Amino acid sequence: MKPRERVAMSLRREKPDRCPMQVSFTPEFAARLRADLHQGGAAMHNPHGGGNTYELERALGEDLLLTSVGWANSYYANETLGASGEAYTDEWGVGFRNQHYETRFGPGFYTEMVGFPLADRKALDTWQPPDPNRPELYHEAERLISQHKEEYYIVGVTVTTIFETAWALRGLQQMLIDFSEDPPLADLILDFPFRYHLAAAVRLVKMGVDMIWIGDDVGTQRGMYISPLTWRRFFKPRMAEFISTLKAINPDVKVAYHCDGNIVKIIPDLIEIGLDVLNPVQPACMDPEMIKKQFGDRLCFWGTIDEQHTLPFGTADEVRQQVLDRIEKVGYNGGLILGPTHHVQLDTPLENFWAMINTITGTERGSVHMPGSSNPVVTA
Amino acid sequence: MTDTKKLYDAILNGNAKVAAEVTQAALAEGAEPGDLVAQCMIPAMDEVGRLFEAEEYFVPELLLAGRAMKAALEYLRPLLAASGAKPSGKVIIGTVKGDLHDIGKNLVAAMLEGAGFEVTDLGTDVSPEKFVEAVGAKGANIVCLSALLTVTMPAMKTTVDALSAAGIRDKVKVMIGGAPVTDQFAREIGADSYSENASAAVASARKLVAV
Repeated sequence: MKPRERVAMSLRREKPDRCPMQVSFTPEFAARLRADLHQGGAAMHNPHGGGNTYELERALGEDLLLTSVGWANSYYANETLGASGEAYTDEWGVGFRNQHYETRFGPGFYTEMVGFPLADRKALDTWQPPDPNRPELYHEAERLISQHKEEYYIVGVTVTTIFETAWALRGLQQMLIDFSEDPPLADLILDFPFRYHLAAAVRLVKMGVDMIWIGDDVGTQRGMYISPLTWRRFFKPRMAEFISTLKAINPDVKVAYHCDGNIVKIIPDLIEIGLDVLNPVQPACMDPEMIKKQFGDRLCFWGTIDEQHTLPFGTADEVRQQVLDRIEKVGYNGGLILGPTHHVQLDTPLENFWAMINTITGTERGSVHMPGSSNPVVTA
Repeated sequence: MTDTKKLYDAILNGNAKVAAEVTQAALAEGAEPGDLVAQCMIPAMDEVGRLFEAEEYFVPELLLAGRAMKAALEYLRPLLAASGAKPSGKVIIGTVKGDLHDIGKNLVAAMLEGAGFEVTDLGTDVSPEKFVEAVGAKGANIVCLSALLTVTMPAMKTTVDALSAAGIRDKVKVMIGGAPVTDQFAREIGADSYSENASAAVASARKLVAV
C-alpha cells in the first residue's frame, strides 16, 4: 500500500495495512540517526520540513512528508540567518539565542526567543509584518509535491499559526495580560500571524497539499493555560475562518491542529469548527484511549507516543508496549497516525527509537551499535 | 477608615492600581503592614491559588493577581524590613542551566511571595554555582528549581549535587517543578519535593519549613 493511501484510509476511519507513521527529529537527533544509518546528506534539519531532503523520513518508512511555510521556520534559521552563530533576528524582528543543554548522548541546543519586537506597543507605529506572497517561500513545497506526492501524503505546515507567533512578537506574559487588559490590542497583534499563515495555507492548498497542519500551544500538563472562555473569544473565530477558508478551496483537504497539553475542554469546539485531526494527544496530559472513546467518531488523532517519559526515560519494551497499546485502543478502526508527541530529542536512546519504528512498521531494524541488530538497515 | 477588604478584592481581581492605592491609604491611616499582609494579602493569594486549582483561574488571572500583590508589597516591604518582621521563609528560585522557559517559575515565585516568603528570583538559565552562591548570600532555607524540557532536567541533579558539594545541602529544602518533572524524579535526584503547580508549591514550601 502506498504511504499516501495508507494515510487517506486511516483518516477515513478505516483500518489500513498498518498504522500510518510520522516522526520528526531535532537537528541533533537527525545527525545521530544519520550517522547510525551511515547516511550522508545535509547537516541542516528542520523538523517541520523546510529544506529537508526527506531521506531520513523515507528510510524509516514514514507516510507523511512535511513542508513548512511561516514563522515556525525561524526556530531553525540559525544557519541561514545567524551564520551558524549564537544569535540571530528573524524577518519578524524576533530575536533568538542558542540555548545549550547536555544529555547523556551529547550536547545540543534549542533556539529560544529573547527579543520581542512589539514588547513596547509604540513599535506598532512603524513595525510591518513580512509578506507571505513571496514566490521563493513556496519553492520547497513545489519540489516536495512534484517529487513525492505520487507516493506520500503531503502536509503543508503553518504551525505557530496565531497565538505562538503573536506572543513571540509581544512577549508571552504581556500577551496573556493583554487578553484581559487590552482586548483590541490583543486582536490587532493576533491578526498579523493569522493573516500571514492563512495566506500561506491558502497557497499551499492551491498547490495541492493533502493536509494543512496548524498549531498553537494553549495547554498545560493538567488543563488549559488560558480559560476556555478566553480561547473562545480570541481563537475559536479565527481558527473557524482559517479552516472554512481552506475547505472552500478544496473540500477534501484535511486540517490538523497541534496543541500540547490537556485541552479536553475545547475539543468539542474544535470539532464544531471542522477540525479533522488532533495532534499530538500528549499521553502524560490526556489519555488517548479516553479521548478516542469520547471523540473518535468525529476526530482523528496524530501522535500519542509519550516523549515526556517513555521515549527518553523508559525501556525499549515499554515503548513497544505503548505502541501496541495505541494500535489496539486508538487505531483499531483507523483514525490514527502514530508518532512521538514532539520531535525526537537527543535524550532518547536509539534502542527506544528503533523499538517505536519497528513496532509501527513491522520491521526488525536496529542501530548498528545495538547487539544482535539485523543491520545493514533496509531502506524503504 | 480605608476598607482593607478592598485590598483583598483588588488582588483577587488583579487590579494593581487599586491594590497600590488602598495600601497607601491604609498605611497613611496607621494600619500595621504586618496586618495587611496577614489579613489581606496572604488570604487573597490563597484564594487565587484555590481558584486556580478549581480551574476557575488560569495563567493570565494568576499573572494579574501576582502583579497586584506586588504593587501592594512595594509599599509594605520597606516597612516590614524596618520592623524586623520575619518572613515565612527565604526562597531562592530560578530555571536551571539551559532552560529559558520561565512562566511557571514566575508564577511559583509570585505565589510564594504572596504567601509571605522572601523570594530571590535568579531568573533563567541559572548555573549550579549561582544557586550555591545565592543560598549563602541570602541565608535561604528553600531552593526552587524549574525545568520545562526533558533535556534540561539533568541540570536539576547537577544543581542538587552542587549544593551537596558546597556543604550546604542540609541547610536548605530543595523543591522542583516543571512539565516533565515527576515525584519519582525528585526522589531520584535527592530533592525534597515536587510540586505540580504554583499553588501546590506554596503548600509544599509551608510544609517543608513548617509555617
